[in-house]
Amino acid sequence: MSQPAAKLSVSVPGELAAAVRKRVGARGLSGFVARAMAHELEREGVRVLLADLEQELGPPSKADLARARKAWPKR
Amino acid sequence: MAEALILDAEAVNALANQSGRKALALRASAVLSIAYDKRALVRVPAPVLAEVCRGVRYDSAINHLLNSPGVGVADLTRKVAQQAGHLLARHRLSSAHAIDAFVVATALQFDTAVIATGDPKDIRRLAAPYSRIGIFPL
Repeated sequence: MSQPAAKLSVSVPGELAAAVRKRVGARGLSGFVARAMAHELEREGVRVLLADLEQELGPPSKADLARARKAWPKR
Repeated sequence: MAEALILDAEAVNALANQSGRKALALRASAVLSIAYDKRALVRVPAPVLAEVCRGVRYDSAINHLLNSPGVGVADLTRKVAQQAGHLLARHRLSSAHAIDAFVVATALQFDTAVIATGDPKDIRRLAAPYSRIGIFPL
């Protein structure tokens, strides 16, 4: 069962709004904004988790960071 | 559908029980840090929970990690389950490897993904045909 929708009124730069409308169309705007908001909240959660890890363990080594970067597939 | 960091059981345990697994947790934090830089989603395939959850008395650290807004559980859908079955068949693996196959099939739902794993051998084998999946051994 989907949750009830909340209506928001936000202001964004005109060029950004035009670019998003061009990409998703007027009917896809709400879904696009909802996904972007959810993604930003998740990123904030990852940032907090990383800060907790660093406080507990210290920072990861440069070697592990390099290995993790290398593991990422090219797009 | 975006990029993702997929956590297997060892990665979940390392991030949930940091002090008891310091070396593993540090390596997990490295790949998590790169995932953050890449704006990737962080996902735990639902079947992995069967490997890491051992009862109410033991699950508080796991639940704490899973309740973080930064970590989502990827549900086991029909599509993912069937894809996992196809992976097992292709590689002539038994259902003893089902959870590894669910992990790889979950990664395949994203444009690109990295699987953080403590047991890379079978995951690597299952993911071998897919250049859009990377493996990060912990």
